[in-house]
Amino acid sequence: MSGAALELRSVRKAFAGHVAVDGLSLSVRAGSVFGLLGPNGAGKTTTLRMVMDILRPDAGEIEILGRPADGSARDRIGYMPEERGLYPRMRLEEQLLFLASLKGVPRAAAARALPAWLERLGLADWRARRVSELSKGMQQKAQLLGTLLHDPELLILDEPMSGLDPVAADDVRRVLMQLARQGKTIVLSSHQMDTVERICDAIGLISHGELILAGAVAEVKQRFGRNLVALAFEGDGGFLATLPGVVALRDRGRHTEVQLAPDADTQQLLHAAAARLKLRRFEIVEPSLHDIFVEQVRAHATR
Amino acid sequence: MSRVLAVARREFLERVRSRAFLIGTLLGPLLLAALTVVPSLLVDTQRGRPLTLAVVDASGALGASVAAALARRRDPAAPRFELRPAGGGAPEAELDRMRHSVLEGRLDGYLYLPPGVLEGAGPEYHSKSVTNLAELSELEKAVEDAVVERRLADAGMAADRIGGLLKHVDLKRIQISAGGEREDSGGAFFLAFGLMMALYSAVAMWGAALMNGVIEEKTSRVVEVIVSSIPSSRLFAGKLIGIGGAGLTQLSAWALALGGVAAYGALASGGGLRLPGITATALLLFVLYFLLGFFTYGALYSAVGAAVNSQQEAQSLMFPVLLPLIAGVMLFPLVLSRPDGPLSVALSLVPFWTPLLMTLRVATLMPPAWQIGLSLALSLATIALLTWAASRVFRVGILMYGKRPTFPEMLRWIRSG
Repeated sequence: MSGAALELRSVRKAFAGHVAVDGLSLSVRAGSVFGLLGPNGAGKTTTLRMVMDILRPDAGEIEILGRPADGSARDRIGYMPEERGLYPRMRLEEQLLFLASLKGVPRAAAARALPAWLERLGLADWRARRVSELSKGMQQKAQLLGTLLHDPELLILDEPMSGLDPVAADDVRRVLMQLARQGKTIVLSSHQMDTVERICDAIGLISHGELILAGAVAEVKQRFGRNLVALAFEGDGGFLATLPGVVALRDRGRHTEVQLAPDADTQQLLHAAAARLKLRRFEIVEPSLHDIFVEQVRAHATR
Repeated sequence: MSRVLAVARREFLERVRSRAFLIGTLLGPLLLAALTVVPSLLVDTQRGRPLTLAVVDASGALGASVAAALARRRDPAAPRFELRPAGGGAPEAELDRMRHSVLEGRLDGYLYLPPGVLEGAGPEYHSKSVTNLAELSELEKAVEDAVVERRLADAGMAADRIGGLLKHVDLKRIQISAGGEREDSGGAFFLAFGLMMALYSAVAMWGAALMNGVIEEKTSRVVEVIVSSIPSSRLFAGKLIGIGGAGLTQLSAWALALGGVAAYGALASGGGLRLPGITATALLLFVLYFLLGFFTYGALYSAVGAAVNSQQEAQSLMFPVLLPLIAGVMLFPLVLSRPDGPLSVALSLVPFWTPLLMTLRVATLMPPAWQIGLSLALSLATIALLTWAASRVFRVGILMYGKRPTFPEMLRWIRSG
């Protein structure tokens, strides 16, 4: 498969008593940023561990950077596991050089590249500190740096933003976007839909180990976004639900979201609403990934 | 290979740079010397207070001779016994009174000489404590002297000749080796025992260091980052080499220090080795047997480390690992009693005991080359098997969190890899 940095075909993995990943197929285009989404326990981490050859799939095939996932492409991949891990008593600089040496980078070369990276992630002043003296956010940035020092083509990041304060999260996001512009392929799992919306080109949503939705972010939003209107008004809007063409009303706090049937006319809704309410906002909107996520996962769970 | 070395380098430096390593390397030999030599010195100091004894003589006229024999054996600077007069009277009442005196602490013990003692009836020593072997043998000799003296006198021997005949014999112990002969006053025993204990503590300590290193990688979750970069078998190999190297460094320092002391002792005594003879070959074998012991037990320790989630959990699994090692230590009197006996040879060829028992044998009576070769071959085969199995437990275990696996589960990990 030319053009795909990562390809999963009917991958299945069961642990004692339950199936973690069930017939999962997905493809990540080289040079894209792919978000692997799903509720807790959906199988995201298991999937990424199989990609990294830490776990072996029971069935199916995984192809990574054009090779089977047997560890042969390890040096071209950077991996940040969900459970962060650094040697607590080791000094930051030593630690990062050690991680790079495991990827086959000579010490001297890694030592040359390190200062610029420490600067970029705001860790330069901490290079000689022990990891246990670093804050959680700094440890997480250090962990990310450890996955980058060998200049990988593909980054596999399991929840890269979780637990970061807004400033640190922004540092990380900025670095990821720079890497994406350089043509690196990034696969990240996340719960944070705003992050995913901002940096991902494509997403795959999994639930109970199955892929329930996949595609480019813009395309997915379009698919679910027809005839969605955000309304803000003064007065009792309860009658809106009874209007022809209205499928559902959702209270979003500061506004109400009206889901119209595919063939309904938004102009009719505007006239009917304006006739009885004092409107402050009327806007045809795209659904957020958050809503798509929640709805699709719920729908899948009740099926 | 370079990545195995990267892991080994990290492990080695982390251990060697620690303060505990420096202290252990410098103080280890002192501590071990203290452990082996000091108790024997303490026995002497504990002797300080002489035992207060009384002699109950139901045989007639032997009491005075026993007292005289005890007095003869007495070192004037440090008397071992202090005799208290026994009140006369019926033996039964007398013994009863003595028993009370002992129980109340006024007496340490009493000797009872039964009526037929000259004809072979056994004398008795009664005391609350009967494990003070050195004093007991003195007592026994004193009674024996008195009895023999009396028998000789009864046979018509002149009193002035008897003293000369009872003069004591001291057996000198002289060890013959290819290097020459030297007199031993117990040093060879302590050297062999000390070397074995050094090896025991080094294997137990560095094995535990290996286990704790694995547990730390597991609890700090760093292990997943590492096995995404290199296969777990290389991580395992790197840890064994790095930590084994740190242990080897420490033990070599100990061996060099010991060699230095031996050489100094040889110089100081003008070439005639006064210190227990220790050859360069013996020290080299000592270091080699440490490595065998470390890899044998290290494989087991690291499997335990990979299987558990915390140091607390490791405690219960550590005992079965340590058990063969401790059993090996317990076998030392057996081996020392006859280092080249068939049982000693057989036991020292059992791979779990080879490091300890071969060290004992090398330090006392150099085993033939074929036995050393065979012990190496058997140990290496065992190490190959154990590291193979342990690396499989390691591969599965390091990513397994939650319930501690049972032994059958671990066996399944080994089979399925």
